[in-house]
Amino acid sequence: MKKSTRKPLDFIIDKLTNSIENTSTGEIFDTAVVRMTLKNLTEIKKSDWRFEWAKEIKDKTKEVYKLTTINNPTIIQGLVSLEDKQDHIFMHLIESAKFNKNKDKVYLGVPGNLVAYACKVSVDKGYQGFLAFDAKTALIKHYQESLYATHFRGLRMFIETEAALRLISKYFKS
Amino acid sequence: MGLIREPKNVDFTVQSEPWTALELRDFRKLMNEIKAKNSKPKLKVLTKKKKVAA
Repeated sequence: MKKSTRKPLDFIIDKLTNSIENTSTGEIFDTAVVRMTLKNLTEIKKSDWRFEWAKEIKDKTKEVYKLTTINNPTIIQGLVSLEDKQDHIFMHLIESAKFNKNKDKVYLGVPGNLVAYACKVSVDKGYQGFLAFDAKTALIKHYQESLYATHFRGLRMFIETEAALRLISKYFKS
Repeated sequence: MGLIREPKNVDFTVQSEPWTALELRDFRKLMNEIKAKNSKPKLKVLTKKKKVAA
């Protein structure tokens, strides 16, 4: 792994606003990440999503978060499912909304935003930002380059402290 | 503040499978090593400047 100057872990994120970018206009929209509960099940139209998000929300071992723009909190831009492994966070699923997929995606930055939030959860829980997940073979390089993730073995990847802090500082104003 | 823009033709989707006990054990070993390094205070190497005789 690359060595670089380590940042202290005790920084404070006092404003949980972050952003995504409209691909056609370049306009930046402030976003919010909100925990999904059983009450929010109606917000998820099953046909719009590849994964079974209702099942994730019902699973008590997992926490599901949605990303929305501040101005339009009813439209979900992306979802992430996390599990607290007591010493790190495990990312089960992450998916952008249908309109944020493929080459015609409306917004850029949705998954990065959610991954940064997952790292923040890890820091807040005292796990020093550690986040573990699997990647498709074709995406391993992308995750290494854009999310500063470390390739562990096979499809297994993780984000360690320095990378987590870089991601958090990119997305969250402090 | 920055923004991580995924390539337009690439979708960052994650669907993780459960890690095996062996994978978790090895990962935790590595993670604990990194965490231990993180908790160590940085050491400064102090060197005295040598005076160059005129």
